Amino acid sequence: MDRLLAYAPLVLLLAYALVVGCYGLLFFGGRRDAGRVATPALLTTLALHLAYLVAITWYWGQFPIAAVWQVLTAVAFAIALIYAFLEWLGRERSTGFWLLAQVLLFQLLAVGLSAAEPAQRETFGNPLFGIHVSFALLGYAAFAVAASYGFLFLRLYSELKRRRFTLFYGKLPPLQVLERMMNGALAVGLAALTVALLDGMLWASLLGKPGWWRDPMILLTFATWALYGGALVLRRLHRWQGRQTALASLTGLGVIVTSLLVAGVLFTGFHRVL
Amino acid sequence: MARPVPVAPPLPATAEPSLMVVGVDYQSAPLELREKVALSTAETEELLRSCKEHPELGEIYLLSTCNRTEAYLLPREKERAFRRAMELTFRKAPEIETGGHFFVHHDREAARRLMAVAAGLESMVLGEPEILGQVKHAAELAEAVGSSGVVVKRLARASVRAGGRARAETAINAGAISFGYAIVDVARQIFSRLERHSVLILGAGEMAATAARPLLEKGVLRLRFANRDPARARAFLEELPAAEHVPFDQRYAALADSDVLVAATAAGDPVIRPVETEQAMRRRPGTPLLAVDLGVPRNVDPAVGRVENVFLHDLDSLQQLVDRNLARRRAEIPRVQEIVGEELRCFLAWYQGLRAEPMVARLQRQGETIRRRELEAARGRFPPEVHEDLEKLSRALVRKLLHHPSQQLRTSGDADHLARIELARQLFQLGDEGEEER
Repeated sequence: MDRLLAYAPLVLLLAYALVVGCYGLLFFGGRRDAGRVATPALLTTLALHLAYLVAITWYWGQFPIAAVWQVLTAVAFAIALIYAFLEWLGRERSTGFWLLAQVLLFQLLAVGLSAAEPAQRETFGNPLFGIHVSFALLGYAAFAVAASYGFLFLRLYSELKRRRFTLFYGKLPPLQVLERMMNGALAVGLAALTVALLDGMLWASLLGKPGWWRDPMILLTFATWALYGGALVLRRLHRWQGRQTALASLTGLGVIVTSLLVAGVLFTGFHRVL
Repeated sequence: MARPVPVAPPLPATAEPSLMVVGVDYQSAPLELREKVALSTAETEELLRSCKEHPELGEIYLLSTCNRTEAYLLPREKERAFRRAMELTFRKAPEIETGGHFFVHHDREAARRLMAVAAGLESMVLGEPEILGQVKHAAELAEAVGSSGVVVKRLARASVRAGGRARAETAINAGAISFGYAIVDVARQIFSRLERHSVLILGAGEMAATAARPLLEKGVLRLRFANRDPARARAFLEELPAAEHVPFDQRYAALADSDVLVAATAAGDPVIRPVETEQAMRRRPGTPLLAVDLGVPRNVDPAVGRVENVFLHDLDSLQQLVDRNLARRRAEIPRVQEIVGEELRCFLAWYQGLRAEPMVARLQRQGETIRRRELEAARGRFPPEVHEDLEKLSRALVRKLLHHPSQQLRTSGDADHLARIELARQLFQLGDEGEEER
């Protein structure tokens, strides 16, 4: 079992590399045959990845969040899962390369750091913690996916506005589809973050920690939630166009990354993540 | 007196079919000659029927489109067939022969030619999609008339497959290469489904119609046009009855619920201005607008392109797109040639399998394999002393069963020979030459 778990991240890395290769052939080479292989390969890899996450949860007796490499592989899984959902929703494969290349990067980092043994804490085995962290990760991964779609949207928007037909023109799906996928990712992210926040609040009140809401990480998470919620509402009300939502999703990701780093490095609240 | 039965050609002793193609296309003959020999479906059918009266032509398949008229033959007598094909195909324009405006290819080059034609490599508009349907239709016609036999039918099928693969596996037909389709191309990069979107065209001249036709063909929800000249409006409606006319001074109101605007008027000043466009955009929040200016001088104020969610394109940008797509298609030529090469190899392998001797050998090998397998399975159920008798009996059975089919396969000299070999291959599931080794 030890040996199996030691090699599994590498196997997953190779599987994701194969998947990215297929999506790359589809995007850059227009190879529809590679596209047809890509989705089954992705779903198989996702199943393997899920099995791996379940296995390490069982092996360590705690949720896989106790070491940086565990967080990285969980993020990789979450991004791939959300992408697979959006691909199914939009019946659109041509963006796969751009999303799954990030998954590959996260998994590569996870493999690089996988020698570190995860810390053992009682908290990590708590189901409320599991739900809280899983949904928070899913939410942040969805926002990263939304930002990627936002980036692709802005690139294509700019090419169409400037009447320059370069790399992305003709290879990406239409602007309306990109926007729909971006909004889909935002909705998934917002829903997941809402669950994570509610679960976190419940858990904090059960723990009886006074003033938990003053924790910088929680305040920043509420701010993030408000930003994305506002962006979705404004788009829904047609006050914003796709371009503004795309900009908001990119800004939002910047805020998330900054807040995680700032809150993790500068503040010493109970809510340390990294 | 009974007509003498034509002497059948020798059966294919070589590895390649003695195919021949005689034809004209846009590269060999000018339009005034091509149009003289172009054939409608009815004329093609009639010509195929008259070809059947000339046994020297053998199997024949005719492909006639606006850019080509080509006759593919599996002749019984090459020289006579060539003369007859020239005479029948180009009878309305003898100057094609005298002026040398035709081409002839033989054997594998003739087969390759039809595959390349189906793949769009020989088309005036590289990779154009219509030719594949035309190749298929011509094959159906030849089959219905009975002018194509086993080889030409197989060649046509292989060519259709090559054409289909070229389009599915490469970008040989990707991207628009005309202004009308370039507008569709840009619209498709903005809107998810064109069938849900409305188009407004300003103008009713040739440019307007050029833009309208592909949009209607792609099934846009609604196509309206606005112009000032009632006579032109009537002519436009006659040509495109699905279009709706709106008065020119109501163009901004129509713009508010349109997603694609094409301006192609002869006006000297812009007829679409930014302030009014912004107002129209406010009435349709959240939905982008593609504005295409085909006018010279320009019909749409360039400042319209700065309005949020409006994508303004003009003749220059469409030309840029067309050039880019053409370059992309040209870059796909080697990959399409590879596909044609693969299909050609398959076709030739199939043809090699039509030779009698290898077919007989395979038939006997198959019989022997089955005999051994069945004998091995049954051996245990019999005492060892009868094993030798079983061996002899099974050998004799297989030999006698295969004797007559083998003799029939070896009998050459009649016109049905190739068909008989093909039938035998299907009945005994013998596969193509070299397949067993693979």
